[in-house]
Amino acid sequence: MSLSAENVRLGYDGQVIVPELSVKIPRHKVTALIGPNGCGKSTLLKSLAGLLKPYSGGVSIDNHPLASMSRRELALKLAFLPQKPQAPESIRVRDLVGYGRFPYQGLMRGASAEDKKIVRWAMNETGVESYAERPIEALSGGQQQRVWIAMAIAQKAEILLLDEPTTFLDWGHQLEVLELLERLNTESGLTVVMSLHDLNQAAQYSDNVLAMKEGALIAKGAPTDVINADLLREVFRVEAECLIGKSGKPHSIAHSSVHKAQQSREAGPHNATPSEALF
Amino acid sequence: MIAAVSGLSSHKQWLWLGALVCLLPIVLALNLFLGASELSPMEVIRTLLAGSGQEHVVRVIWELRLPRAIAAALIGSQLALAGFMLQSLTRNPLADSGLLGISAGASLGAVLVVVGAGTLSSGVAVYEQGESVLASLPAAALLGGLLSAVLVYGLSGASALTPLRLILTGVVCAAILNALVTGLLGLWGQAHTETIAAWLAGSLNGRSWEHLNVLLPWSALGLLAAILIYRPMRLLRLVDEQALSLGLNLSLWRLLTIATATLLTASAVAVSGPIGFIGLVVPHLAQGFAPGHMALQYLITAIAGAVIVLAGDLAGRLVLAPYELPVGVLAALIGVPTFLYLLRRQP
Repeated sequence: MSLSAENVRLGYDGQVIVPELSVKIPRHKVTALIGPNGCGKSTLLKSLAGLLKPYSGGVSIDNHPLASMSRRELALKLAFLPQKPQAPESIRVRDLVGYGRFPYQGLMRGASAEDKKIVRWAMNETGVESYAERPIEALSGGQQQRVWIAMAIAQKAEILLLDEPTTFLDWGHQLEVLELLERLNTESGLTVVMSLHDLNQAAQYSDNVLAMKEGALIAKGAPTDVINADLLREVFRVEAECLIGKSGKPHSIAHSSVHKAQQSREAGPHNATPSEALF
Repeated sequence: MIAAVSGLSSHKQWLWLGALVCLLPIVLALNLFLGASELSPMEVIRTLLAGSGQEHVVRVIWELRLPRAIAAALIGSQLALAGFMLQSLTRNPLADSGLLGISAGASLGAVLVVVGAGTLSSGVAVYEQGESVLASLPAAALLGGLLSAVLVYGLSGASALTPLRLILTGVVCAAILNALVTGLLGLWGQAHTETIAAWLAGSLNGRSWEHLNVLLPWSALGLLAAILIYRPMRLLRLVDEQALSLGLNLSLWRLLTIATATLLTASAVAVSGPIGFIGLVVPHLAQGFAPGHMALQYLITAIAGAVIVLAGDLAGRLVLAPYELPVGVLAALIGVPTFLYLLRRQP
């Protein structure tokens, strides 16, 4: 199932954040969305998930416009995990993961044997089955995030969109979540689209990188093609060096912000050129 | 260790539910057996089984105590369930039907009818028209409650409403409607102050089959809707984006949840007058008994609401006999400390 946005114009309350953007999300791949805060990553993700209606243009799955699908139809094809999910008070992990089966259930019918089986599978995949009976508040941030992912994959949609799934986690738990997504992708062909802040993680765990700046798509492609010193300077305003690591993926090391580099160059008059003085 | 604790508590949850289920018929029976006129238990049982007996006993049981007890149970359940729904809908543990202005709207409807009737036919002695005015109170209150819910829903942005906007609009509308009630009473209500004050206190005094007939169709509809909306309603406690991406038509189910809560509240308030704190406290109580188990909480809310209003009405009839303490007053007296206690227990 391929997800694509065509000439979408996006924003909130009349304020445009993404003026015009087209993108095609490759099937069965992990796509990472990178870019500074406020560049429109979340906005784009929400519109891809059918949660934000474009002012113009459209998003479609296999040429079916999202706008013509019901919420339920969409939920069968696509799952979305927001940046700050919220659970009902002291709900048990098993029940929360069970919510993922909602689009398959009616008003009166509860969980079928099939639903229960899939909930067990989702908890097993994400390694949360040993907390099944615990209230969600009793878990650590990393465990909670895996529960949310379990709920999303219990939906059995082919596409999973995640808005900054690692932001509130410590380093180890960040890697655990990314490894989990990588495994779900390789094992069951799940298409993953996520926004990430850490460039090295984006490079290491994705097949496809989309770099955004001020609402526009600046670069797209394999990590090695996209992540380089020029891009980091342009998109993040960071002077960095990009090495190719043992895995064959680019690895960036920041030296300074472009702002500071300019300041120190301006301080040394022998370096100041007319063109740089313009900034 | 946590697993052990939660295992224990899930055992305890069912125990609580069992206790409540047993408690309901007990309190219901006590409401039939006890009261201002002293009847022997045998007399009561004989009258109930045979449907006939001494005229005086038949009247007390069939015309006074039974309809009153049924009304108490239904009203308690309805107010508690409406509170549960509104707390889910607004994701706010302090929400109840006072919040949506439903109680205030119902009060305004009732007061308008009483005051209006008095002003229009000033030549007729008040006690002569008293009966017909009282009979039209439920309908007027129901209409007032429904209209105020529509008003609050519309002002909150209708299908685009957010929980926060709903709360703020509701609080403002409730304040205005309550001010109108007070204003009306102050200006034109003198002749009826007693009638209206008794109704506004939230009382079940003298509620008969006539009142029940008004209540029953709405109760049936509301309770049926309460069952049907349960599964989608659970998802309202997630953030909007999650509920939507799980396939929930959010604006539709928000509307249906508000509509059901309104139906349950307005019809209850129409019969008893506003009874506060039931909708606020009972869902919290249920959460305390069955933490994390929402289906069980919902069930406990429905039963505990009935038990508490039944017990409150019984206590109101007995403590100051032969005078009566309105159940609304007792609900506040018991509800406020309970709520404070529950609040302190929260982490």
